[in-house]
Amino acid sequence: MPKIPQQVISLGILFLIAIGGFVIARKFFIPHSFGLYGHYRADAVEEIKKQEIVYAGAKACYDCHDDIYDLKAQSYHKDVACEVCHGPAASHVENPDGVLPPIPNDRKGCAICHDYSPPRPTGFPQIIEARHNPGKVCKSCHNPHNPTLPHTPESCSACHREIYMKKSISSHASLECATCHTVPEGHLTSPRANEVGKPQKREFCGQCHAEDAQVSKDILRIDLKTHGERSLCWECHYPHDPETNT
Amino acid sequence: MEPTIIQQAMMGFQSFSGYIYPNEYELQWSLLIVLYPYLTGLVAGAFILASLERVFRVTVILPVYRLSLLTALAFLIVAPMPLFAHLGHPERALEMLWTPHLQSAMAMFGFVYAWYLLVVLLLEIWFDFRKDIVMYSKNSRGLKKYFYLLLTLGSTDISEEALRFDNKMCKFITVMGIPSAFLLHGYVGFIFGSIKANPWWSSVLMPIVFLFSAIVSGIALMILIYMVTTLFRWKKIDMGCLNKLAEFLFYTMIVDFSLELLDFIHRLYESEESIHILSQLITNRLFVSLIVTQIFLGSIVPILGLIVGRFGKLPDELRRIVYFLSAVLVQVGIFSIRWNVVIGGQLFSKSLRGLTVYKVQLLGLEGLLMTVFLLILPLFILYGIVKILPPWTDSELEVHK
Repeated sequence: MPKIPQQVISLGILFLIAIGGFVIARKFFIPHSFGLYGHYRADAVEEIKKQEIVYAGAKACYDCHDDIYDLKAQSYHKDVACEVCHGPAASHVENPDGVLPPIPNDRKGCAICHDYSPPRPTGFPQIIEARHNPGKVCKSCHNPHNPTLPHTPESCSACHREIYMKKSISSHASLECATCHTVPEGHLTSPRANEVGKPQKREFCGQCHAEDAQVSKDILRIDLKTHGERSLCWECHYPHDPETNT
Repeated sequence: MEPTIIQQAMMGFQSFSGYIYPNEYELQWSLLIVLYPYLTGLVAGAFILASLERVFRVTVILPVYRLSLLTALAFLIVAPMPLFAHLGHPERALEMLWTPHLQSAMAMFGFVYAWYLLVVLLLEIWFDFRKDIVMYSKNSRGLKKYFYLLLTLGSTDISEEALRFDNKMCKFITVMGIPSAFLLHGYVGFIFGSIKANPWWSSVLMPIVFLFSAIVSGIALMILIYMVTTLFRWKKIDMGCLNKLAEFLFYTMIVDFSLELLDFIHRLYESEESIHILSQLITNRLFVSLIVTQIFLGSIVPILGLIVGRFGKLPDELRRIVYFLSAVLVQVGIFSIRWNVVIGGQLFSKSLRGLTVYKVQLLGLEGLLMTVFLLILPLFILYGIVKILPPWTDSELEVHK
């Protein structure tokens, strides 16, 4: 039998100790219920089950408040659960008269979703809380269970705040939205069924930007016949924040 | 005073543009995650350089062979630290080892790391330095003697036969180490390349691009460390070795640059729906770090520098300066690559409609100071290792010949 080199014996012992230590450590550190149902500690399920239930769920609200539930189900807030605004209500369900869920009487809750934030999609109603009827409680004008606006918005910025913000500091700041967009009558009350129109001809932008346009000479001009081939202007340029140096 | 609408809008523009999902506002993978692939790249690169001498018998680079191994070790020790600091709960990293999830590439890190550290690097270093360790244990006194005796692991046989076995094992481990080094850094590239939801990352070329950039950074690092250590030891630089290193750096940079160009052209030709936001990302958010730092300063300038330095008729002093500056620029370029991959991949929205920004923190566990500390730490560790196991070949050339 060939002689085993000394180095191999030393390393072998060291590796055996390391592997043995790892195996023992595993036994010691892995919780006994690990892997019973899957790649997690099965006892965690029992521990979670033991936690106190604080939310009742929207169906529980429906049992007693079906009128409000039905009203909300038809409104823009149909996907906002009751307990989002009224807080956890399991104790209220257990003891309806003894524990009453709070009725929000401030502006903070609504601002979580409706305060202006640029990442929100355009068309989502947003206000700048500090400017929008300061001091007034939201529900004094808006019914949270049916939040259709009490009167049609006066400005496009009520829903298109992000575009409004961009346009307000762009070279198109002085243009009204309706200068370029055709706004159907029903758009203010039912925006998705009555979408606004966009310019469909290059000549529309050409009223100001064509070489022969009768407007201030400071406005950028292009040759409509050659510039951009047959594309519509807004397919390349963003009219709410147009580039100014090209 | 309340900001005006315009001020608010401007504040908004500074942080993001277009539409981003709410959970994309804050970047989850910070500067430390930039550092992690950068460090592992240096490890893999330094090791692959060392293997050139051992496996392919490029004896001219012998002066950096052992230094490369020790450098790889010093950087490998620090490589997981950015991850620990990023996670905030370093002790939880062990959970991945106790109960590994075999279907998660990320959970495999502990095993890839342990394999590379314990089976490849430490073993190779041990076999390579064993004769020296035994000699130190015999010639030292006091605690030092016992320390080196402990390092021998009880294997004090330095007969010719035993040394021949050491040499054979070293070669075997290096041969095994090359695919392991590929695995280590290819794995890091795989982590990014396999994220199919992110068009900036999702590319089969990612592991291979990572790998070649790793080799580039490792060779450049060894040029720097070799030049600096030789300077401080008042020794003469072996120009044959340095020229060879520069040559290797040049060749690998050409391959790396071509691969990245291929990736770029491929994306451009495929022109998937993400191409618009990616072009905005490049021209807007990543202009400095990609076009200026990565491509111009980190690739084109050092490639030209290496061509002039290696193939031009320059005096050795000037040649050394050109190599040194090129190697520094390469490091800046490779760090930019990591930055552009990790941070760039998080700057655009998955909606493909908006861009956000990343602001580097100064303090804190994931801040700039921590990053600088983790970048310097391997150099101190290397200093310590070099004190214990001097890798200098000036008096030991005959060991390998």
